[in-house]
Amino acid sequence: MESLADKERLPREIMAMRVAKELPDGSYVNLGIGIPTMVSSFVPEGRTVFYHSESGILNCGPLAEEGNEDIDLINAGGQYLEPVGGMSFFDSAEAFAMIRGGHVDVTVLGSHQVSATGDLANWMLPQRGVGNVGGAMDLATGASGVIVAMEHTDRNGEPKIVQECTFPLTGKGCVYLIVTDLAVIECDGQGLTLKEVAPGWTPEEVQQLTGAKLTISPDIREFEL
Amino acid sequence: MTSAPENSPGDPTKQGKLYSSALAALEGISNDATVLVAGFAGCGIPQKLLRGLAESGVSGLTLICQGAWIQEPGDFTVADLVGSGQVKKMISPMPFHPVHGGAVKEQWESGELEIEIVSQGVLAERLRAGGAGIGGVFLPSSSGTRFAEGKEVRQYDGCEHVLELALKADFALLRAQAADTLGNMVYDGTARNWNPTMAMAAGVTVVEVDAVHHPGGIDPELVITQAIFIDRLVLSD
Amino acid sequence: MPGTHLEPASVAQRVSQELFSGAVVALGPGLPCYLPDALPDTSGVWFIADSGALGSKGGEAHGSAVDAGENSASLLSGGSFTGVVDVAGILRGGHTDIAVLQPSQVAANGDFVHWTSEETAGLFAPGSAVDMAYGAATVIAVMPHQYPGGRSNIVSQCSLPVDGAGRVNIIITDVSVIKVTAAGLELVETAPGWTAEEIIAITDAPLTVSSDLKGMTFNVPTLEPTNKVYSSAIEALSDVLEGSIINVDGFAGPGGMAHYLMVGLRDLGVKKLQLISNTAGVARVSAFGVPNIIDHSILVENNQVVKATASYPVSPSASRPSAFEEAYNRGETELEVVPQGTLAERLRSGGAGVAAFYTPTGAGTLLGEGKEARIIDGKDYILETGLRADFCIIRGYKADTLGNVVYKGTSRNFNPVMATAAEITVVEVDEIVEPGQLGPEEIVTPGLFVNRIVVRPADFSAYLEI
Repeated sequence: MESLADKERLPREIMAMRVAKELPDGSYVNLGIGIPTMVSSFVPEGRTVFYHSESGILNCGPLAEEGNEDIDLINAGGQYLEPVGGMSFFDSAEAFAMIRGGHVDVTVLGSHQVSATGDLANWMLPQRGVGNVGGAMDLATGASGVIVAMEHTDRNGEPKIVQECTFPLTGKGCVYLIVTDLAVIECDGQGLTLKEVAPGWTPEEVQQLTGAKLTISPDIREFEL
Repeated sequence: MTSAPENSPGDPTKQGKLYSSALAALEGISNDATVLVAGFAGCGIPQKLLRGLAESGVSGLTLICQGAWIQEPGDFTVADLVGSGQVKKMISPMPFHPVHGGAVKEQWESGELEIEIVSQGVLAERLRAGGAGIGGVFLPSSSGTRFAEGKEVRQYDGCEHVLELALKADFALLRAQAADTLGNMVYDGTARNWNPTMAMAAGVTVVEVDAVHHPGGIDPELVITQAIFIDRLVLSD
Repeated sequence: MPGTHLEPASVAQRVSQELFSGAVVALGPGLPCYLPDALPDTSGVWFIADSGALGSKGGEAHGSAVDAGENSASLLSGGSFTGVVDVAGILRGGHTDIAVLQPSQVAANGDFVHWTSEETAGLFAPGSAVDMAYGAATVIAVMPHQYPGGRSNIVSQCSLPVDGAGRVNIIITDVSVIKVTAAGLELVETAPGWTAEEIIAITDAPLTVSSDLKGMTFNVPTLEPTNKVYSSAIEALSDVLEGSIINVDGFAGPGGMAHYLMVGLRDLGVKKLQLISNTAGVARVSAFGVPNIIDHSILVENNQVVKATASYPVSPSASRPSAFEEAYNRGETELEVVPQGTLAERLRSGGAGVAAFYTPTGAGTLLGEGKEARIIDGKDYILETGLRADFCIIRGYKADTLGNVVYKGTSRNFNPVMATAAEITVVEVDEIVEPGQLGPEEIVTPGLFVNRIVVRPADFSAYLEI
């Protein structure tokens, strides 16, 4: 395990780039805080993706240039946005009607844990005793597709992909794809299929750092960007 | 369990949303479809889309709408669609004018048309629930009336509330004053009526608009219905 | 020989005597639509048409506006437009004082049938009448006393299924005014030329004659808009009581937060407050704000908060705890964590008269524990209840003196939702303008939800001195 812990993993930008490949042309996408926020920088050329944010904006522009910050134009992560044509504003009830009503095609979220059956636990660390659920539960339940982008293991090297979540759940069986710094894994609600591994990593090594059984896809390959 | 959305770059509902004709914009509608039709009294009725629906020849439709209260000469309304025999059921709070009647009244009397009366606020709330992912709501207003019969009733704050379930449809036919090509929409006066709610509650949402602008042509503070709810646009005549 | 039957305009004048300054009045189709014309435009009465016109009046038409009776209508200065679902929320949510309807039948116990007659028996046209009659404190039935042909529209018992059970308080017809009391119907006024006996003869329900029977009069009361503009935050919040539940927006960042009202609330020092808010004050400790920005923490640090209902109650970073988290860890505050969309929906429900709803969010999680679970169409839901507060402090960009509010960009968030879900809603804005200066399509929060307006003073700073 010592050697695996020291082995080079993929940077966050590459994870974001890999997730970006999954976003269909013309889709409405909600990006969570952290790695997910970076996804918008890597959408393949020729595709248009419309971003929704719980702050009450649809068709978010890029992050604001320095000096251009407007406190009335932010995303859910508190980052300032540039105004763009075709954006629109609305209140929180409407923002979540869009999410819960299934109008958002994909959400990309970070997570503490994902289980073998696609359960998501990303809102609360039990040791803190209190947590910020924010819009995560609505997104996990309401979005048509949930992609998780996270490190494969936590700070202590423990697997974040587990047989069953030990942290409080955000949503049950909602995740269909996990992109980590080691692998791309599909969830079909029954189990996990390893589809891609990071360069220099074998499926067996990824399995060693995973707390749930991975089925290795017959067409397993290296991360494709 | 969620799933990967289809990646279909050729899908016209996600690429430019503007269609060349009402008939083209109604592609995919089939017999026995449930269709939401916006409009309140004579205001904000998607007449071109209703004509397109007549032209498409589909039948056995269930229409959910305010009703067919008035009919100005030359107008094309749900009453005309009922008149052409394409409608088997209407769900409405005011299906026809009790005195002036019309095709809806005639077909209802002859038994050709089924009518389900839903109180206006209940219908609006059921559609909003459908569009907002809510399964059902407990509403107080129809307590003690026939609208509560056969439904689950609970006490909240000392009065009876009736469980009403979410409602969704296959298509929504809407009418807006202007849209941008992404589908952000604005309305004129009370022509807003059912449009924003119905926009949320259908599989395919089609809008008849008077003008289409490029993105940025509509003030983002004034957008009433956001592009995320809209699939297809067609210019009015 | 009885007198003549009153014209609709005269009946409307008599109905106007039931109104009061600042009243919010819902109008059904038919005779009620004559009412706005009976009053001068400056009366300050809000007429709600279920077509979506808030502040409607008769007269020349706005381009595409109709009233509840499909007549062309215009808006009073400061009126605005909304959709059918929001009108239903206004009606059901208890935001109207008076509903004026034209039933086809009213019974001795106040039951009524709306717009259905024997010609269409078996088919009924409730329209919005069901919601109007439910949500208003007073329901006035305006109707011809008799059906064409002479049959009475006032009956012992409705012969058709009712649209509102026991809802009507006053019946004003073209020949009389009748009160609905627990003991039955009481004739209180007769039209010129009519005697009590003549009214009784054409009424198909027992009618007692008031000992104070009067003739109907048609003078229109002098009404004035309520003043909603307050001189300071302290003045606008002076009646907040200890233990009050308070809606406070503050999605997270400084944009949509009523800093000036928050400071007023702190300076008043009122204790044991229960806050309903997306956060419990994280702007100071998150990327949104800066260390000295004003947020909910000023109330927590002043020992005024005993509970927060929030979706994002604590700092994103455990190593930089907010004032609320520290108070919570000391056991000084309670916390109810609610998913953000559920919080928004609970507030919307509270404002729109929805007692409870089934949402999929939180089903099968810690936050769903102890709540009723239900499967609808194969999908898991949990039951959540509507939420209302005693006070609401929100932040707008501009308001007119009637209380219509517009917001700016992403600072809208919970503000318009919370405004509907409190007994007293106080808004803080940059600027107050005259009615008509905010466009009818532009208004986001209609003034009927807003009780008090204060301007954030030009020299007010949203930053604490450190």
